[in-house]
Amino acid sequence: MLQAARTPNLNLYTYSNVEDVSGFIGNFNVKIRKKAKYVKSDCNGCGACFEVCPSYGYDEFNEGMNTRKAIYVSFAQAVPSKAQIDMSRCIKCGLCEKACEVNAIDFNQEDEIIEIKVGTIIVATGWDEYEPETGYLGYNVYPNVITQMKLERLLAPNGPTVGHLARPSDGKTPKRILFIQCVGSRDLNKQTYCSAGVCCMISIKNTKLIKQHYPDADISVAYMDIRAAGKDYEEYYTASRKEGIRYVRTNISKINEDPETHNLKVIMQNTLSSSGLKEIEFDLVVLSCAMMPAKGVEKIGKLLKLENSQDGFFKEFHSRLNPIDTKIPGIVLAGVAQGPKSISESISQGRAAASSVSRIMGKDKYRIMLIRATVDKEKCAKCGLCELNCPYNAISLKPDGADVDEILCRGCGSCLSNCPSEAITLRYYREPQYESQIDAILEEI
Amino acid sequence: MAGTIRAQYPATIRPIRINCTGRVTPSLMMRAIGKGANGVIVAG
Repeated sequence: MLQAARTPNLNLYTYSNVEDVSGFIGNFNVKIRKKAKYVKSDCNGCGACFEVCPSYGYDEFNEGMNTRKAIYVSFAQAVPSKAQIDMSRCIKCGLCEKACEVNAIDFNQEDEIIEIKVGTIIVATGWDEYEPETGYLGYNVYPNVITQMKLERLLAPNGPTVGHLARPSDGKTPKRILFIQCVGSRDLNKQTYCSAGVCCMISIKNTKLIKQHYPDADISVAYMDIRAAGKDYEEYYTASRKEGIRYVRTNISKINEDPETHNLKVIMQNTLSSSGLKEIEFDLVVLSCAMMPAKGVEKIGKLLKLENSQDGFFKEFHSRLNPIDTKIPGIVLAGVAQGPKSISESISQGRAAASSVSRIMGKDKYRIMLIRATVDKEKCAKCGLCELNCPYNAISLKPDGADVDEILCRGCGSCLSNCPSEAITLRYYREPQYESQIDAILEEI
Repeated sequence: MAGTIRAQYPATIRPIRINCTGRVTPSLMMRAIGKGANGVIVAG
């Protein structure tokens, strides 16, 4: 991100939303709402304002495990490193205004809407962790049942505990830790897909990390199948097993909590042995949750008219032959926006997306097929049915009849089969051609 | 599709390629039935 921010001719719009997209390949008009930060760009990120701010609240970056002020930088490495004010928390006391040496605080700032012209669009909306419903495996009910994301923050050197593993109920270092895999994924009632082995590898990584810091930790992983497919992944898994981490193929039946110690009693059965159901006590349970399309991504999908796959991720042109482009020319996908994948796969797809758009952007011409709808304006009754039925928004009703934008049109023919006055035809796929094909075939009978 | 999954279908089925199923008009289907076809499958 820092490198991107320093690259000339590369404009970053952080803390912004895409409001509207119109146009077509080579000529997209994008409306961006730059949300008010209430801090001018003069801010040098010194942090004097955070210290004086009296308003505390939930810190989203650390999964709510510590607090942040109403004026804040979302996290230490954020780009750009400039403060912003969360108006839902600000009490407008003005202390930050006094503390700021560069006079960057501006309480009267308003959202700014800018319009930019772009040739191509890369959709890289990323993902969010699946949030289990309250009570599922004790989540949100028992304090010591946490998700993988929370564990990541607990283990991070810049996290709320400065890298020390502490369980939420009493802050003690947990000894007996259980990882539960496939929470919300590979489940016919939730997400049916596997999150591409990412959660398996994260669990293996974290077991190794915890073991490194706390060699006496007793770590178990409850798995369905360990999906360690990838370069060096299997060896990594084997190394984790050699370090004494217990991998148990199991289905978790139930988790109960000891109300006094907040330890968790997990009822499970090793499905590879005939030992039956067992109750085992753990200090901390970590849920490895599925990767989900990022929250609010439906809005972007609607604006760009992208299709969704069954799993909710954006649909690519072809799942095997062209997983980069979408069916709309000039819009390509990168990373988890298209489907669950690991960091290395996301990088590969990001680079592929960049080369896919640069192939188009490098030329000053763009070739289209001639299979396009044409309107006979004399027959057109201007009813507007074609405009309603066009999935690509290529038709607009003009005073002299329907008008087809030949670049947006994909030649599907939905307009002409709906046209009551038969005013629309599709080049190369005209009615008489089909009629004579049908006639020729049925002559034999 | 039938070819890739090695499925068999009767030799009396005659496929006509169209650009998109959106292109199929009722008049084309009626024409086929009118000329003696037993049925029309719109597949895509």
